[in-house]
Amino acid sequence: MGLSDLLAPSGREYFALFEQAGTNVLRAADLLDQMLATYPDRRELASDILVCEHEGDRITHDLIQHLNNTFVTPIDREDIYRLAGALDNIVDYTEEVADYLGLYRVEAPMVQAQQMATILHRSCREIAQALPLLRGFRDISPHTIEINRLENEGDRLTREAMAALFDNGIDPMVVIRWKDLYERLEDAIDATEDVANIMEGIVIKNR
Amino acid sequence: MLAERSDQPQPAARLSSSGGERVRIALIDRDPGFMQVLSRRMGERGWDHTIVGSPVTPEALVRMRLHALVVDTAVVGPDCWAYLEAVCARLPALPVVVCTGPSSVAQRVRGLRLGADAWVTKPCHPEELLCVIEAAMRRHRRRELALLEPPTVVGELTIRPELHQAFVGEASVGLTAREFEILELLVHSDRVLRREEIYERVWGYAMAHGDRSVDVFVRKLRQKLHAASPGWDYIHTHFGVGYRFAPVPSSSPSEEAQAPAARSVSPPVGQAEGDAEAERVLTSPAPDRER
Repeated sequence: MGLSDLLAPSGREYFALFEQAGTNVLRAADLLDQMLATYPDRRELASDILVCEHEGDRITHDLIQHLNNTFVTPIDREDIYRLAGALDNIVDYTEEVADYLGLYRVEAPMVQAQQMATILHRSCREIAQALPLLRGFRDISPHTIEINRLENEGDRLTREAMAALFDNGIDPMVVIRWKDLYERLEDAIDATEDVANIMEGIVIKNR
Repeated sequence: MLAERSDQPQPAARLSSSGGERVRIALIDRDPGFMQVLSRRMGERGWDHTIVGSPVTPEALVRMRLHALVVDTAVVGPDCWAYLEAVCARLPALPVVVCTGPSSVAQRVRGLRLGADAWVTKPCHPEELLCVIEAAMRRHRRRELALLEPPTVVGELTIRPELHQAFVGEASVGLTAREFEILELLVHSDRVLRREEIYERVWGYAMAHGDRSVDVFVRKLRQKLHAASPGWDYIHTHFGVGYRFAPVPSSSPSEEAQAPAARSVSPPVGQAEGDAEAERVLTSPAPDRER
């Protein structure tokens, strides 16, 4: 790496890596959506989601590595760290849901979990569409507004799903399993909102 | 006077449920002293028991998956006749023993006619009550066995409860225990069974709203039945209600049985509701957001 590379604020690599992360996040969420919609027929999708999780780790590692090797960055270092971490969180939580379905020996899905996975998928699609717009710090507000709306719907669904678990006479094992799974799904959806907020901050600061 | 240990049951007289699992008894009673001695003796027999101080709904009794119920009608109060009738109607296979204080002949006759298996008057010896419960359970088990012994033939299927399996000719359909329980439940019901009802009866708990377990297992069951007996439709979906068993020769190959969990397949009720909800979630207009 030459001196010019260290000093020049070329953001191509960062933006390319963020776009890769966006594609990876979308793929993981799409797979989880499919897995829950068809559960238990396509349980093997969990291993594809695990591949996404490894790919997310690889991208985050590359981003941090790149950050450590350059002095000048196209956007705040702190923002790069936070965005990389938030994108990674989405895939991590998504993978946990897929993993726990097998670990907890879940026999059949819950309608609410299927709906939450669909919301996560939609949010990730918005993220994947918004990330390329960061290159020119263009307006991403239609995407972030939609992500926030979906997150609100996710919150409402989680509350309803949790309440349904505590009706009288439900198998305690069902409660233990699904409370955990709903929390992970909610964490994943919350992480999409974190990404939206960080992206929004980056655009505002650099316009 | 007989020594305390002399009236203990002989090992041969001990009873477990037909499946070999622990006997589960519920006692609706508020007499702490009597409950204490009964509890000890039931513990010695290896029975699981639950003591409740107030009447439990018949639905809750279904979920408890009991082998017998003991009721003190005094605890239930003036509604005891309606309660007894409701419990015996909802759970015809459950042995019910009334154990209560002094009563008239008319009361005992009424209780027994409403479906109670036996009437024991307090004060009574705990061993006597336990023997009456055992006798009631034995009678029910004999009746169940008599009912179960002949295999049920429906369409091309032969259902053999003693083997916990269904057959087409000599070939096993390859049902799992849970699939067989659902099939047997549907076969012996002449009406549409709600998903919640199937879940309660097979899983032994209340069904959580949104739980798709019944749909998943019925789908697997249908796939296996279709593979073993392709010319027949056995399980029919009643949208918004549940499932009904009725063997009919199929006019066209069953789409649902052939398409496992494709996303394009019309979902059953629970999911249909869920999909409608998801659609509403995802198409509702974005709320104005403070920026």
